[in-house]
Amino acid sequence: MATGNIQSGGILGGAAGQGGRTSRLQLGTLHAATFLLFLVVWWILSITVGHGFLPSPQDTAKAAVKMFGDGSLEAATLQSFFSLFCGFLLAVIVAIPVGMAMGGIAIVGAVLNPYVDALSSMPRIAFLPLIIVFLGLGYEAKIFMVFLGAVMPILINTYAGVRHSDGELIEMARSAGAGDADIFRKIVLPGALPHIMTGLRVGASLALINTVVAELYTAVSGLGGLLSIYGNSFRMAPYFVIVAILAGMGMLLMYGIRLIEKRVMRWRIERS
Amino acid sequence: MESNSVSDESPAISVRNVTKTFRRPKAAHGVNALDGVSFDIRANSFVSIVGPSGCGKTTLLRMLNGLIRPDSGDVLVDGAVPTPGPHMGFVFQSFRLMPWRTIRSNVAFTLEVHGVGAKECAEKADYYLNMVGLRRFAHSYPAELSGGMKQCAALARALIGQPRYLLMDEPLANLDAQTSEFMQIELMKIWRKHRGVVVLVTHSVDEAVLLSDQIILMNPRPGRVAEILDVKLPHPRWSYDARATPEFIAMRAYLWSRIKRMVASDPESEFYLRDEAIVGETAAIQG
Repeated sequence: MATGNIQSGGILGGAAGQGGRTSRLQLGTLHAATFLLFLVVWWILSITVGHGFLPSPQDTAKAAVKMFGDGSLEAATLQSFFSLFCGFLLAVIVAIPVGMAMGGIAIVGAVLNPYVDALSSMPRIAFLPLIIVFLGLGYEAKIFMVFLGAVMPILINTYAGVRHSDGELIEMARSAGAGDADIFRKIVLPGALPHIMTGLRVGASLALINTVVAELYTAVSGLGGLLSIYGNSFRMAPYFVIVAILAGMGMLLMYGIRLIEKRVMRWRIERS
Repeated sequence: MESNSVSDESPAISVRNVTKTFRRPKAAHGVNALDGVSFDIRANSFVSIVGPSGCGKTTLLRMLNGLIRPDSGDVLVDGAVPTPGPHMGFVFQSFRLMPWRTIRSNVAFTLEVHGVGAKECAEKADYYLNMVGLRRFAHSYPAELSGGMKQCAALARALIGQPRYLLMDEPLANLDAQTSEFMQIELMKIWRKHRGVVVLVTHSVDEAVLLSDQIILMNPRPGRVAEILDVKLPHPRWSYDARATPEFIAMRAYLWSRIKRMVASDPESEFYLRDEAIVGETAAIQG
């Protein structure tokens, strides 16, 4: 598959490297240079606005070393990851079958669609007081909050993917004598996969956002909890460590989903 | 022709007085796709259905497959109402390969949905891929193949069910001129080997004359059979320059003039009344 060359993502990527392809070395150098530039800008900004508001990169690194040393960070990261993982998993388990049912059975889609519209455009934080009343301030509430954030994008995309299945391929399958179950399993579902993956990606980022939101507003715990503790006491260096870890978690999450995407949609990658 | 068995007397496919109207969402009256269509198709014959757009030839082909049913009249295949399945190979204009499956797996689809085991599926798929010259692309994905190769794969997918009827809906229309000529030869050779009934829907008069034993010419709006012609050119037609024979040229010219006349006198065609000579002629004929 990959032969040391990576397809540069953009459609106008022709300038870098030969024939629109950038070598791994070139890409690595570019990544390093961009990150260095980011650190320099950060450092200049921290000097201009003052360390009280924006810690310098060095201070942040020092704080990180100290926090990793006393183990508080690991515990908080683990707590956040637990809420995120459980909530997201729950969302996948609910959203994909419901989305499939809505797309596959017209009447189910028509009946549920207004509720989906209402729920997906509503700010999920509006439910928070209600969630606290029913589920308290512990993990249940946090997991449910994460679930609420992730479930709609996955559901809507699954629904859309199933509904926009390829009528020509379905007719082909019928002409070969395939039954409804085979048509759903072998034509409709694989056709919906790109949509489902998009839903997972959007759902994952919303799940992470809601993890932090839930931790800020329910029983203070996890990375969100630390964020509020450090933020409220203006300890900006540790605060920034948490921000960096959240950014890293987001990147890791997206990377994982991209790996799954590559695995299940090999056919999309042109092999030359 | 190596005609065999009794089926020469009783037709393999029999279409009697078939009518089909499609309802349009916002129109008061529907589209009369087919109106009183009747014809017979002999066993082991290659038949083409030609005619201008809107003559219902694609609708007719789907009826022969059993994908749609007539509003009235009868379609009988081997004396029974047709049902879709591997015994009825269908090749579509738009290839219709599943982009997420390899070529081998696409070809095996026909058997797979009828519970044939994975090993047998793969073996048979390779056999038919070999037949259409795609054996070395078994593990490729459709996106990596040219149009002609994709249609060969689709043909292999139809042949793998060992169909007694091969129905083709403008299979070569999406290919470039040269590829489609090579595919015509391929089709002749495969039919020669495979036999059975082939029903080909095509826009191309050349293709129809070159490949068929019989041509069903259809009128547009409503779709009706205008004429049924026998093509007497000897088989195999790839062994000589069939296109250069007087019979080919005469039949081609005749069909083309009929179709031109149909189009120029069809009020719904974009070429309606575009040819004054033809229109004058039509008016004179109609008196």
